[in-house]
Amino acid sequence: MGIRFNEVSYGYSSFAQGLYTAIKDINLEITEKNEFIALVGHTGSGKSTLAKHMNALIFPTSGTLEIFGHTITNKRNKKIKYNDIRKKVGLVFQFPEYQLFEETVEKDIMFGPMNFKITKEEAKKLAKQSLNLVGLDDSYLSRNPYNLSGGEKKRVSIAGILAMDPDILVLDEPTSGLDPAGKRILMDLFKNINETTGKTIVIITHDMDLVYQYFNRVLVMNDGHLVFDGKTEVLFQKEDLTDYHLDYPNTIKVLKYLNQELNLNMNVFQKTNAEALAEIKRAVRL
Amino acid sequence: MKSIIIGQYIPGKGLFYRLDPRTKIIAVLLIMISVFLLETIEQLLIGLATAIVLLLIGKISILKVIKGLKPIMILLIFTFIFQIILNREGETIVSQQMYFTGYTLLLLILAFIVWRILNKLVKYRFTLFFLFAAGVFLILSYVDFGPKIAEPFTFNIYRAGLEMSFFVVVRLLIIITLSTVLTLTTKPTDLTQGLEKLMHPMKKIGFDSESFALIISISLRYIPTIFDEANKIMLAQASRGADFSEGKLKDKLRQVISLLVPMFIIAFMRSEELANAMESRNFVPGEKRTRINELYFSHRDIIATIFSFLILALAIVLKVM
Repeated sequence: MGIRFNEVSYGYSSFAQGLYTAIKDINLEITEKNEFIALVGHTGSGKSTLAKHMNALIFPTSGTLEIFGHTITNKRNKKIKYNDIRKKVGLVFQFPEYQLFEETVEKDIMFGPMNFKITKEEAKKLAKQSLNLVGLDDSYLSRNPYNLSGGEKKRVSIAGILAMDPDILVLDEPTSGLDPAGKRILMDLFKNINETTGKTIVIITHDMDLVYQYFNRVLVMNDGHLVFDGKTEVLFQKEDLTDYHLDYPNTIKVLKYLNQELNLNMNVFQKTNAEALAEIKRAVRL
Repeated sequence: MKSIIIGQYIPGKGLFYRLDPRTKIIAVLLIMISVFLLETIEQLLIGLATAIVLLLIGKISILKVIKGLKPIMILLIFTFIFQIILNREGETIVSQQMYFTGYTLLLLILAFIVWRILNKLVKYRFTLFFLFAAGVFLILSYVDFGPKIAEPFTFNIYRAGLEMSFFVVVRLLIIITLSTVLTLTTKPTDLTQGLEKLMHPMKKIGFDSESFALIISISLRYIPTIFDEANKIMLAQASRGADFSEGKLKDKLRQVISLLVPMFIIAFMRSEELANAMESRNFVPGEKRTRINELYFSHRDIIATIFSFLILALAIVLKVM
């Protein structure tokens, strides 16, 4: 079994403002195999807080959380080895600056596996493998992580988690700050990892085009509540997504607009540009 | 960290919120000086009463201030105990024969264990600590049987010691309360602006009060930000398996480095960004600047200043007489 949330709420407390509840009564189940899930929602909706629960970095204020058979409550339990959970569920943070610290990329990627009692040689091998997996060649191994470009840093930080070989991979906005081509390369990479190894991958993103094209299951957060959990197609068939502070993918928007302006009757639910084009051609020829 | 009230500003509406920061700084300084001039316990108690009345007038919840005193409590208790033990003047009030035998040692260890276990279960840890201390005292004074380990000694409390310890603690209490009132009711920006204006005359001797105030306000502003960043880094490294609670010393060292390096780099990045942002808004060091909110004295400030001067005068008169 993977991760199960039972009525989980989490509140941040501060002296001046009192308690601020970031997520409220979340019920959710994520299986450990073959899932490819998008987590979307407006800024401040609680996506990141939800993600931090998934590898027990923070504990629920109320409710319980089950991660690979360990039950997480609001108190630290001495019997649970939290490090084991973090090995099983890898979480990549949004900004790579928070985790890069070694003088070479190789050493930095090795930091994760080495924390889980793996020999140096094995860790070196893992570092090389995972670096190649994120699309960087061996010449990067000896480079200083702080002299890389933003996109490269991001990939190195993802490689750092991949090297730990987690069963479930959670990524907080892995595509933010990347150019469009870089986004696709990275998304193809995640999809590929998901398909070849069967690892469950959860990705936080704001890009609805990516959500529509790549994901089959989508979770929508709105003001701390989980308001939607289901198939991507079902989400975008909804009439009004502004309630969720979301937008439609570009293909749907363009086709809807064409339908409206030219009085056509096209099927607007096309995932890629090519499919949309084919639909337009079909409609115009008629 | 969030429970520490000292140095925090909490928005509110009361008399002290409406005072000019310069007035508040001067008044706090004057009253502090007066507190140091006081010589007898009666005078100090009146001083404490005055401080409490000031809190009431300012509509500041006394409970909040007491809560904020908690971290300083340890300091207060230590001063109290050291004064009692080390000051040996005046007549003796308490004189207790103390013994140290094998049984004493045994009982002391037992008491310690009971204290540590109860500490985990009970909520009132402070009261428990006092009970433990009292228990130690009782054991030392009444368990006089068994094999002797050390020679019996007498534990004395002297009048001057008791008075002095009480005196020092009350004085500290007043000073901390006053400074808490100052920081509680004044925004950090106002506080630094007040400091800057007050130190302005020192420019004649080459002291750049504006830069000084800027340094203070930037450092104050960045304390919570840096805490936030540190927390994020800790989570990011924890999710890479850096477990800060267990592991060998060598591993721990590495894990600490994994926190420190990103911390420094982020701090440098932040400072560079801030410098760029300030420059792009035309900040030139040393130039004359205008403020959105100019400070001005009102009749309240005059009354408050006069009041604090009166207190100082009263303290001087008491001291001279």
